[in-house]
Amino acid sequence: MNMSNATLVVEDIHKSFGSVEVLKGISLTAEKGDVISILGSSGSGKSTFLRCINLLETPNSGRVTVNGETIGMRYPDAGEPIPVDRKQVERLRTKLAMVFQGFNLWSHMTVLQNVIEAPVHVLGVSKAEATDKACALLDKVGILDRKDYYPAHLSGGQQQRAAIARALAMDPDVMLFDEPTSALDPELVGEVLKVMRDLADEGRTMLVVTHEMGFARDVSNKVMFLHQGKVEEEGAPQDMFNNPTSERFKGFLAKTRG
Amino acid sequence: MEAIWEYRDLIFIKGGLLTVEVAVYSLILATIFGLLGSWAKLSKNKVARAGADGYTTIIRGIPDLVLMLLIFFQGQILLNRFGESTGLWTFVEIDPMTAGVFTIAFIMGAYYTETFRGAFLSIPSGQIEAATACGMSRPLIFRRIIWPQLVRYALPSFTNNWLVQLKTTALVSLIGLQDIVYNANAIGRKLREPFTFLFAALVFFLFLTAVSEIALRLLERRYSAGIRRA
Repeated sequence: MNMSNATLVVEDIHKSFGSVEVLKGISLTAEKGDVISILGSSGSGKSTFLRCINLLETPNSGRVTVNGETIGMRYPDAGEPIPVDRKQVERLRTKLAMVFQGFNLWSHMTVLQNVIEAPVHVLGVSKAEATDKACALLDKVGILDRKDYYPAHLSGGQQQRAAIARALAMDPDVMLFDEPTSALDPELVGEVLKVMRDLADEGRTMLVVTHEMGFARDVSNKVMFLHQGKVEEEGAPQDMFNNPTSERFKGFLAKTRG
Repeated sequence: MEAIWEYRDLIFIKGGLLTVEVAVYSLILATIFGLLGSWAKLSKNKVARAGADGYTTIIRGIPDLVLMLLIFFQGQILLNRFGESTGLWTFVEIDPMTAGVFTIAFIMGAYYTETFRGAFLSIPSGQIEAATACGMSRPLIFRRIIWPQLVRYALPSFTNNWLVQLKTTALVSLIGLQDIVYNANAIGRKLREPFTFLFAALVFFLFLTAVSEIALRLLERRYSAGIRRA
């Protein structure tokens, strides 16, 4: 039961690895068009939180609701929770496209094949239609001329832009970015951030785990700062960056400003 | 040389064909054993993992010849005892062809298990995560993402195993199958020209391995899309 018509509602996510509790109850609501930056030092649980949303990690408890539809989970006495209906999870994942730190393009396929793979085989779009759309998306991220290249022959920035095109090809309701620029050489970060800015300007709903303070401050409309598996501070970027309230976020800002 | 020509049917056609048959049948079966074994080794199930570990450790630690004789003679006895005690069957006789193919496949399956396991581990796990995150089902991920890369990474070691397997077929001559080695040996002794006939068998094996290497190299090229050559 969810009365809100938010695009994505995540409630009270808990996650432990063995005896270590990594997430201690994190909630988040994304309205359509929200760009939410998730900040935190390493080990704060920000990537794990993002991965719990599309069930790449199974949360020990908590609820994820996409467009009003809650992912059903079973809680057996022993072991990890299990999705009630795997098909539901697969269907909702198509609505939650993800972009990874390590790009994770399929190395035996060309860029174009990477982009049309899931639309053709998961969504059942015709190959011709998927190809037209893929070319438009590759043009948008500026690598249409590389469409027949294999990932191994592209720079990191080009690979990440291809991965963004692959995510966009699903027509997702929410895009999950897991440190999309952290594995890039400094001079390649800009081209990926530019694509992400354009997506934000288009009104895409995005959750971005990042270390890019400029992006969090200028592009997102909500910021969330995690510390040891809890939300330490959250709010609008202007407030948070100009008047941080928690000591930890103040300290974090001081460190990242160098 | 004329002697070889005279007996060409018995050596190359009958014997050679039997060798190829044993090799091909046992290859198919061994590949299945290997896929099942690697699947068990990579599974989360402890029992499956322990079983597969036992299989590869024992089989790879025993000489092929010993296993061949053990399975052919002792296996038959055990099978019949089991049939008697459970009342499921009264008497079965394993024909040498089945025994030979099965034994070779069982032995080589342990090696293919490691081949496929290693190949699977070479696929970056991030690529499987990316497929999962796109909403792909497990069978679809296997077919579209894992299998093409598995074949690519498995081929060099697979080729190696196949060449060993081809030569292992010579062991079936010990349980009475008249393969090329058996026939060449028998005729050579009879005519007191053992070297000539064993040499013919040697050339035959060299021919088979050369053809296999070419075929597998072509296959490797086909599956190498996207792999950067060093």
